[in-house]
This record gives sequence, structure tokens and C-alpha cells, in this order.
Amino acid sequence: MSIQKQAYKAIEIVAGSKYTSDDPAVCEGYRSGPGGYESGLGYEKVMTTIPGAVVMPRTTEEVSKIVKICNRYKVAYVPYSTGFYGPRSHCHVENELLIDLKRMNDFEIDEKHFFITVGSGVIYSPIQQEALNKGAYVVIGGGGAQASAIANLIGDGWSPLSHRIGLPHRRILGTELVLPDGDIVKMGSLAEGSDPFWGDGPGPDLRGLLRGFTGLRGCLGIVTKMAIKTLPFQPEPLVPTGIAPNTALALPPKRVKWVNFQMPNKAAQVKAMFEIGKAEIAAAVTKVPLFWRAIAKAECKEEFWEIWGKETEETIKNFFIVRVLLVGFTSEEQMQYDENVLNDIMAELGGIPRPTKPSDESWIKNADSAGMWLMCGSYVSVDYIIESLTQATQHGESYADLKRKYTPPLMPDNGDPGWFQSFELGHQGYSEFLVYWDQDEDTNGVDHFYLETAKMNIRERFYTSLLGPHQPLYLTGPKYGPNYHEWLLKVKDAFDPLWVCHPPVPLSHDDFVNRAEWMHPLKDWESPEKLPMPKW
Amino acid sequence: MQTKNELAKIVGKDYVSDSKEDCTKYSQDQSLLPPGMPEAVVWPGTSEEVGKIVAWCNGNNIPVVPVSSKVHFHGCTIPKQGGVVVDLSRMNKILEIDTENRLVRFEAGVTWEQLVEELAKKGLRPIMPLLPPGNRSPLTDTLEREVPTNIVYDYGEPMQSIEVVWPNGDLFRCGSASVNGFPESKSRGANPSGPGLDFYRFFQAAQGTMGIVTWASIKAESIPRIDKILFAPVDDLTYAMDFLYRILPRRIGQECLLLNNVDLAAIAAGKGLGDFESLCAKLPPWTLILVISGLLRRPEEKIAYEENFLSQVLKHEFPKMGLTDNLPGFPGLGRQLLPMLRKPWPTNVPYWKNSIRGGCQNLFFITKPNQVPAFMDTMETVVAGYGYPASDIGSYIQPIEHNRACQVEFSFFYDPEDVNEKAFVADLYFEAANALLNEGAFFPRPYGALAPIIYERAAGYTMTLKRLKGVFDPNNIMNPGNLCF
Amino acid sequence: MRKDEMYDTPKKKVALDVNDLNNFVYDMDHCIKCKGCYWVEHTYMPGVNFSTRCPSNLWNDFDSYGAFGKMRIGLAVNEGKLKWTDKLLEIIYADPLCGACDVGCKRNLDLEVELTLEALRVKAVKDGAGPMPAHKKIAKNIASKHNQFGSPAESRKKWITKDINVAEKADMLYFAGCSASYANPDIAKSTAKILNASGNKFMLMKDEWCCGNTLYSVGMIDDARELAKRNIDVVKASGAKTLVTSCAECYRMWKVDYPKMLNIATADLGFKVVHLIEVADEAIKNGKLKLTKPVDVRFTYHDACGVSRLSDPWTPWSGERGWMGTVSPALKRRRGTTGLYAQSRNILNAIPGAKFVEMPRIRENAFCCSAGRGTKEAFPDLAKFAANHRLDEVKSVSAEVLVSACPWCKSNFNDAVKENGDNVKVMDISEIILASVEI
Repeated sequence: MSIQKQAYKAIEIVAGSKYTSDDPAVCEGYRSGPGGYESGLGYEKVMTTIPGAVVMPRTTEEVSKIVKICNRYKVAYVPYSTGFYGPRSHCHVENELLIDLKRMNDFEIDEKHFFITVGSGVIYSPIQQEALNKGAYVVIGGGGAQASAIANLIGDGWSPLSHRIGLPHRRILGTELVLPDGDIVKMGSLAEGSDPFWGDGPGPDLRGLLRGFTGLRGCLGIVTKMAIKTLPFQPEPLVPTGIAPNTALALPPKRVKWVNFQMPNKAAQVKAMFEIGKAEIAAAVTKVPLFWRAIAKAECKEEFWEIWGKETEETIKNFFIVRVLLVGFTSEEQMQYDENVLNDIMAELGGIPRPTKPSDESWIKNADSAGMWLMCGSYVSVDYIIESLTQATQHGESYADLKRKYTPPLMPDNGDPGWFQSFELGHQGYSEFLVYWDQDEDTNGVDHFYLETAKMNIRERFYTSLLGPHQPLYLTGPKYGPNYHEWLLKVKDAFDPLWVCHPPVPLSHDDFVNRAEWMHPLKDWESPEKLPMPKW
Repeated sequence: MQTKNELAKIVGKDYVSDSKEDCTKYSQDQSLLPPGMPEAVVWPGTSEEVGKIVAWCNGNNIPVVPVSSKVHFHGCTIPKQGGVVVDLSRMNKILEIDTENRLVRFEAGVTWEQLVEELAKKGLRPIMPLLPPGNRSPLTDTLEREVPTNIVYDYGEPMQSIEVVWPNGDLFRCGSASVNGFPESKSRGANPSGPGLDFYRFFQAAQGTMGIVTWASIKAESIPRIDKILFAPVDDLTYAMDFLYRILPRRIGQECLLLNNVDLAAIAAGKGLGDFESLCAKLPPWTLILVISGLLRRPEEKIAYEENFLSQVLKHEFPKMGLTDNLPGFPGLGRQLLPMLRKPWPTNVPYWKNSIRGGCQNLFFITKPNQVPAFMDTMETVVAGYGYPASDIGSYIQPIEHNRACQVEFSFFYDPEDVNEKAFVADLYFEAANALLNEGAFFPRPYGALAPIIYERAAGYTMTLKRLKGVFDPNNIMNPGNLCF
Repeated sequence: MRKDEMYDTPKKKVALDVNDLNNFVYDMDHCIKCKGCYWVEHTYMPGVNFSTRCPSNLWNDFDSYGAFGKMRIGLAVNEGKLKWTDKLLEIIYADPLCGACDVGCKRNLDLEVELTLEALRVKAVKDGAGPMPAHKKIAKNIASKHNQFGSPAESRKKWITKDINVAEKADMLYFAGCSASYANPDIAKSTAKILNASGNKFMLMKDEWCCGNTLYSVGMIDDARELAKRNIDVVKASGAKTLVTSCAECYRMWKVDYPKMLNIATADLGFKVVHLIEVADEAIKNGKLKLTKPVDVRFTYHDACGVSRLSDPWTPWSGERGWMGTVSPALKRRRGTTGLYAQSRNILNAIPGAKFVEMPRIRENAFCCSAGRGTKEAFPDLAKFAANHRLDEVKSVSAEVLVSACPWCKSNFNDAVKENGDNVKVMDISEIILASVEI
């Protein structure tokens, strides 16, 4: 199995034989599952396969040439930065080329103007450390330090640190995109010159092509270079301590501090977030699901279940934590001010401070996101939405109700209503619902749950991340916009008439529902008999 | 005539006109661009009417020119290929003010005056550019990415969800307002992104070429409980820029801007501080204006820590920066200026830029603050070549978001009745723009005469933009003749 | 939790036994491709330079060369879906089994990556495909001359000089190992002199044979087991209570892989296994070893894998796996937490007159030189690449001397330094200790 021979030869000349391969063992290493984000599920089993060939380009020009060759010889291709996002980042059709972008790892930092410029192969934790070395910080997406910064920013891209700058869109500066047919387009100040310090323009903003909410999963071209905002931090160093698995950043106590508050009820928890936003303090404000505390305590999976098994619906219902990160951006005096204001708010709402470690294990370097898989072996964030704090605090409860119906195969979690927090100083809010299961069990229930949540969002009129390629386009399309899917497909057809770029995305989930028998009973929406895309 | 009749079927005969008098009102604006006449003007009252108008025009190859404000500076609303002006001034409702989520949703015809007043009643304010005319549309200004005077928020853009009419007449909501049934929904429209693609981006700085935005939701901020305005006379711009590099990343201040003597004189003139000429002569070359604020809680403590930080930095690192609570020689300037910075320019007095000679041509671009002095030199060289006194130019430097960048705006004042002077300023402006562009100035908003040179330089971007336009507006009916369309 | 919320998952037998790759199907199945096996642990991530700790995958960028690629390949091998080709063998064997992947994964998860890789090699040998030709040569050398190099067995003790006191009988037995005996005699000499100077009476094996490190590492487990049994019997017969070595590879072999192959615990070997680092650390603490001579160097320290993340003692385990992958009986996994990090640094910080600077990647984040476990012999290019990469890091902290605790590291770094003409001297920890001791 390989890709079309002439294409392979031409690609090998562009990238070099050292960086091109169609060896079966090499290609097998690029299989999506069976483990990983959203893996071990129906979508992964039905829709993904191993590449026919892999190429690792080094420059934007090489990417452009390779893509043009794919267009000439009608070779499907998928861009791939780390593959961590699971099946959606992997090959979906036979004899497909996987373009592994890891060698595009250039890095520059403009300390004075608070931005970094990277290629698709650069991941977050090196960026964060480089930024911290210069008195700045970035928001490492929830996916973790191991996510490619570019891939994350055009897909998702947020964390509790988004309390100050929520939408990742606001952090994208000058960008280079290789369109599905191989043309290169440079956006922002890169359109007119070589300094990528500014993101919008000229005129209408083509960064609109990079993502939607959430990403397009690589079906509208390949981003090869991006300048990303950093934010001013504070000057004291955060020192790594401990030996794996118990590592953490020691925080300078007068400039960076986490504080946990136990709130008397949900209303107080929510109000605290609103008030903190209005007071315009803090660097992160989030609730903490109870089972994360169990994960933090547990040394292994078995220990987690021992701890978690003792919790009940009652304990969940009465566990309301607000976790706040205070940073003395300006000075120690400013952090004291933030803390005074925070304490005022908590006094008003009956929040009681709990002992909190003077260290960060999670969000600043985000070393522990892989722990999401510890409990059951499989995990996906079913829905993760930036909307208002009002929606955010209501959303999880609808999920929790639906989830009961699908437990098992989903992990028993005593009705935990997910995670929510403040974004952009309370102007927005974020909610995320994570589910866990074991891929070795019958996973059809997980597939069903996933689709049912899309329907639930439509019914309840929630905004959702389950748009674009994440759920059937013909299900969500008519209900959002309305008919956003028609415009999305028109744009796709205009820029990729051959659909060589990561087929059959964005109709991949529609295709999945057609091909997976166990999904058929759930199909109650209209869609064309033949999906409007070329056959691969 | 036929156009008028057809449109009357949609909006009613009282709200459409093809009279010469009405059409002439839209044929020119305050820019130096040549006039152009629409064939009709229509004033819709609802988004649905807008949709039907656009659908009909599209089906009949008639250009559509959307207009939201009462005053225009860049020539965007001058019909360049005839067509119908769609004036949204009747759509001037503030649809909701959500104090919990601190957002305000309002129609395209709402003015700055309206918005500021209504928000103030709830203890809120919008983030504003510098002294916008009171009868401009905040929706348009936000969409066109006017640079705010506020430098402290990390989140960059105030715009959230928008409702649009596509060039085919379809109504569509971008962002989380796209939820079916909005606003009767759990979604509050706080997210601009999606669904599917970031369609909202295509409307930004599009000058109405991608469709018509009928309402927008933007962030509203709380009104600070204490404000203190500080001034520093500046004659060394490099020193001032270094100072801003030092303090702004430490999140000091609310509003922060630099105005040269000409601009500040125009703004402050006639308010008991002297007339324009005398102010111009007496003001320092540049004035740094910095507002520090105490917010809703413990406002005095916030002022205190900012002041303490500033005093340390001034004492130990920038002893020559005379930042104090007054501008020496100008008693009362602070009291005048501070409220002005939080309000639009009143509509019953000439706009400050027009108060000098009557007309004003602005040239603005984005750059890095440390490059500003070099651009000042470039500008001086260009105007010297034209025999134009550099001391006549209004200059305004607006730091952006922790001073990661800044906007520089040059203003050339002229007598709009003097044809020769207008031609002279147009030439000067064009040459200056080219010189600045060649030195690396970035023009993210290519208005009027700038558009062809910007889009030629950004050839790859232009090509892609045209492909995109072809998807949404294959007939090119939306405000043709602007940008690269 | 209620019963109706849980599947009644049938229990499967499972053991930490590398003889059968099926024991690690769950681990291969559940690899999430987070590349914790490849990157420096994120808390310690130093920046864009020196950001990785997987030599195999830095040497060859295709995913297949990282542990996360090999987990997927391992599943295919186990299911008979991949043929044993030269390329597949290279993927499996161009890998020093340094343990970075195992420790990296276990920072957050419970997967046995290192054991899976070991089991894959056992399978390769069982299938008649592995090991590499260079490894087969080593096996022949060991079988005929009892050392990896094929040098005369009778020359093994040539390193002993007159000023070294070897006891006839003692509680401590010094195991020099092949490299210290033949290729790096200065290490053996220095070690012996340190033992003498600290009052640690020691004896040697009458007939010291190779520990079998390469045999085990490349999957020749049966041959390795035979050698292990023989060696253990010799130590027991000697009456030694403690076996000390100054080779990190031997240390790991004796302490971890011997018990592993024999399905016993490290504690049940019948004697303690220590590295010179532990002996010297204790001797300095209790005043028996005095470091008084100034050593005027600016040096850095390379945490050799065998005395770091691979050195946690072994306890055999077998049991069942059931619901949500939980196992019983309780299993405390080896996560590389008891490496000799503190002990080595106690010693190095006590060297008078020397300036000790750390590299960005230390302790469990150290970047393996890729010489050990048969890697350099079969893939000299990989070993050279890894050494050069690590030397870049040495130079980045302007260290004039690189200290390690393994003769295989020393040889590999020395070869690289010689070829490059770097202004870096390579020393073993035994040598720098000795340089600061008044004899």
C-alpha cells in the first residue's frame, strides 16, 4: 500500500528520501488508535486508516509543493502536527498521504512586543518556558503542554488562564496558510511585509478561514507559521520541583498564588465568578470537578477508584469549589489588592478559603493533562463551549441528566455536572463536559451519547462546540445560522474543488453515521442521499 | 423608477426615495474621494426588510451600499457604481443590555451618543476610539476595527455575536447568537466565533462588501469609580516610547495616548483654555495622557498601587518624564479632557478635526512603538518635499494592548472649498502613504486611494480575498469599487 | 458506585512478564499518543532547545521511532499483521531502552512502556527475526570469552595495579564489568582505590563473566537468564553481602533484570546491589571518605540511565485485570523515582575547588547517550548522534568536563569528543572523586 507512484516520486524529491516513506512499519506507527483522544470509538474504527505514505517537510515552500503535487495526482492528504487530537487528525481514506509537520519547528520571540512566532511542530511547554523566561506567559490549551500551539489555536485553545484572554482567535497574529490547492496566503502584517506582529487585515479578515468554533480539523489548508500573542506576566521565576510523577512549579508567593474557596452552594459559586469578573481581578477563575481532586491524590488508577468509589451524589452536590489564580502583574501591592478584593467577595458570599498548595501542577505548564486518561483508559471532551457565564453555568446540568442514560459505558460520576469557569473577565463563560469509558467495552453507547448531546444542544438552544466536522453537518447546519453548513460547504468547494485536503472532512461525521449501522436508529434529520463531495 | 417601486413594496413608500435631493446627500462625504450617485435610497426598519432589499438587488444586478452613520470620513459609503443606498438609521434600537454578562446588543443605526447614554444608566460604558463623532454608528466603528484609547484589557476585541444579511439576502447570525430561536435561548450571544467558519471575520473592515450587519453584541465595561488623569509634556518621543514599554505591560492605566500640540489644541480649543492658535503655540510638542482608574471594589487601593508603581519607575528609571496630575501651563485641562475621553464628540459642534480648516484627511497605520520616531522622520521628509509645514500636521499615537503595537495617525487639514488645496492634500497623502508603506508601516484598513496600493502589495491576500468574495457575493453587488472588489 | 452503573467486565490474567507480549496488549492499546515518552517532562521543559529525551525519535523523526509509534507497531506485530523486515527490526532495535519513555508516560498514566519494548525484542528473537547481526556477534563473544568484546578472558583483571588492595574474602564484592575491565580500566582502578580509601574491604569474582546486559536487552532472554543464574550463584558462593559496581548498565542488570528474569524480587537476590555512587555518598557522609584536594574544573553531570530512571528495584507481579483496566492484587508501579540523583549530587557538590553546573535536562529528564544495551554496536550512527546532541548541551552550559557514572557513556562521549575536537574532557564519577582524595 502506498500513494500514487508518480506523486510519491515527486514528493520524495521535494522533501528528500530521508523524510519520505511508504514502508508498512513506518506507516503503522501513524495509526490513530486504538488509544487516545476520542479513540476506541466508532468514528475511529470506521473512519480512520493508516497512511499510504508519510512525508515530513521542513518549510512552507515544501508544504506548498507537496500539496500541489497531491492536487495534480489526486492524492488525498491530511496535515498532522502531533496527532494528539485523535482520529480527526489522521488519515480517513486509503492511499492517503500524511503530512507530518513536526520538522517545522522554528521559533522566535519578540520580547518587547509580546509575541512568539512558530511553525506547526512547536508545542506549548517550550513556548511557555521561553515566554516565562522573558516575563510573559501564554495560555496552554486544556489539551496540554504536548499540543502543537498552532493546531490548538486553530482548533480549540483555552484553559483557566483564559479568564483574561478567552477566545484564542484574539491571540492569533500574522499567519501563513497553504490553501488546499497549494497556494500560500499570508495574513495580517505578513500580507504586506515580513514582521508578523499584527493579526488582522488588510481589510476583511481571512483568519476567518482558519477555524470556526471549533476547528475545521485540517480540511481547509495547512497553517505552517503563526505569530501568537503572549501576555505580560510578572518577573519572578517559577521553579520546577520534584521528581516525576510528582513535579510542580513552585510559585513565588508574593507574586503568584492559587487560592481555593469552598462555597456554600452553586448559586454562590456562580455569583463569585461574576463578581470576580466585574472586579476585574485574577488570572484564572474556575470550578473544579470533584473527581479531579481524586486524580490529584491518586498514585494509580486503582487508587483513584478507591477514592472515587467513596463519593456519592450527595457529596458531589455539596462540593462547590472556586479556584482562583492571583498574579501580581504590576507589583506585590497589586496582588495584595486582588486578594483583598477577592476576600471581600468571598466574605459576602460565604466562601471559605481552603488550604492550597503554593505550587502549580496543572495550568501554567500543563504537564498533567494526560491524566485525563488515567481513570478509565479512554476520554473525550464531548462538548466545550465558550459562551456567556450564564449559559456556562447551566449547560453541564443538561449533560449530566442525559449522561445517566449512558452509564455504563460512561464512567459513573455521581451526576457531576462538568466544568465551568469565567472567560474574558466574566464577559464570557466556559463550560466543558468530559466523559470517560474503557474502549475494551461495548462503546456504541458512547457513540450514541455523543450524537444525542448535539441534539440536546439544539433542543435546549445552547451554543456548542459540536459544530462543523464534529457532528453531522446536516444535523447541526439547519439549526445554527441558520444553514451555516451551506456556506461552509460552498467555501470548501471554492477552495478545494477536488476535496483532496483531508477528505471527507467536514462531512466526515455525516459519513460516519451513514456507514455505522448502530448509528442508523438515531438518524432523524434530513440529509442528501449522496453527500455532496467527491468519492474517495 | 422601477427600483423605487419595487423597494416600496418592501419598506413602504415613505421609506424609499430616488429624488435628486435625497440621493445627493449620499454622494459625498468628508473624504477627498470623488462623488458618486446612488439611484435610490431606502430606509428599512427591520432585518427582514434589509434581507428582502438585498435579495431583490442581487437578483437585479443592482449594487447595495450600506450606511449606518451620519458622518463618514473614508469614502466607503459613496456609491461607486450607482446602486441603492441602504440607510440603517431607522434601525436604532438598543435591543438588550445584559448587566450580568456585561454585553450590549444594538442595531446598526444606534449612535455613539445613544449607546454611551443608555449604558451609563446601568453603570456601564463601551470601549471607545478617541472622540468619535456622536452620530457615528458604534457598530460600524467596532466592525471597522477603530483602535480604542483603552490599553489595559487582554482580550483585544469587544465584538461578540452579530446578525448579518448575506449578499443573497439570507439572514444569518454569526457566533453563539446563531442558536435557533435566539435570543429566546440559553445562549446569550457572547461568542463571535462560528458556527462552522468564523464568518464574523469576513465582515470586519469589509466596508459593507461582504454583506450588511444589522445588529451586534459588544462587551460593555463597568464605569470606574475613581479616575485620575495624568499628563506628561514630551519632546523626546523615543524616551516616551521607552517609558510606555516599561509601564504598560505592568497593566497600568485605562486610557493612554499621545497627542501632538496640533491635535490636542484642536480638541481643547474654545473650552476656556484658549483658542486653537494660542494652544498650538504653547502646548509641548507632544503630550502623554494617561488615565488611571479605581474600579468597582476598593478603588482607592487600585489607584494607590498604580501610583506607587509609577512613582518608583519615574524616580529610578525615567527621571525626565514629568508625569503629574496636570500639564504645566494649562490649568483645568484635566477636568476638561477626562469626561471627554469617555464620551463621543457632541454633534452640535463641529468635529474637532474639522474645526481647524474645515476638512481633514487622515492617514493611519499600525506599527511597533519603537519604530514611531523613524516614521515621524519619514513623514517630515515627505512633507518637506511638498513644501508643507510639518508643524501643521496633527499627530496621534495610540498604544495598543500593553504597548505590543500602536496606531499612528497623521491629520492633514485643508479648506474643503479650495479645490487646489484638496488636490494638493490628496497627492501629499498618497505619497506619504507610499513612503510609509515602503518603510514597513502596516495598513490593515485600506480606505479609498490606499486600497489599490495595499492590495497590490498584498497580492496573495488579495487573490484569496477575491476567491472568498466569489463565494458570498458572486455578482459583486455589495458596495463594489471598495477594497479590491 | 452502583452495580447498574458498571459493566461486569470479565477478568483477564496478566503478569509483568516480558516473555509474552500478550501481557502488554492493554498497554499498547491504551497509548494516547501524548508523547510524554518523547518530550522532556513539561514542568521541567527548558525551552525550545533540549526539549526532548528520546534519542531514537530525535535521530529518526518518523513517529514509528518513538515509543508511541512502537506501541501501535507492537500491536500489529502481536497480531501477525506486520512482517519482520529490516525496517521493522531497525525501528525495534535502534533504541537504547533508556527508560525515558517509561518514566515520561508514568508521570500521568499506568502503562508499562519499557516492559512492552523489552517484550517486543523477546518476540523478535523468538520469531527468529532478531536480534541484529552485531548483537549476535556480542552473544558469540560472551559465550566464548565471557566478555562483550571478544577479548581474551584471561586479560580481564589486567587493570589491577600493585597499589590496589583486593581482599581474599570480604562482605563487599566489586563487579567491574566488561567495559571497565577492558575498555576503561581507569574506572575500575579509580573505583577500587576509592573503596580502599574509604575503608571498604572488597573482593572480586575469581572468574568474572559479563553480566549479560546486551543479551537481555536485545531479547535473548534465555541466554541472559542462564548467565544470570551462573553469576548469582558465584556471588552467593562467595558469601558477599553487597555487590558494588561502577557501571550503570551492570547495576541495572544485577538489580532489576536479574530478579526480573528469575521472577523474584530484588530484595530476594540474597545480596544487596549498589553502585559506587551509593557507597561513596555514605562514606563521605560518615567521614570515611574525605574529599580534600581541589579539582579546578567547571563540570557538568550526565545521569546515566542505569543509575537513574531504570534503577527502581524489581518486584514480580501477576494478577488480573478487570473493570476499567484496574488490576488486582495491588500493584505499585516502578516510575523511576528512586534513581541515584541526590546521592551523586551530594558527592559532586562536595568536590572542592570545582564548579558544578547542571544541564537543562537532568535526572529523569536526562538524554541518553545511546551507547548502552547493544545500541552502539548495532547502530553506531545513533550512538554518535545522541552523544553529539548531549555534548551540545554540555557546551551550552560551558562545561569543560562531562562527568558520568558509566563506562559505556564515557567511551561513547570520548569517541564523539575526539571526532569533533570538542574542548570537553570526559570523566567518570569515580575519576573525579579520586582526583579529590589524598591517597
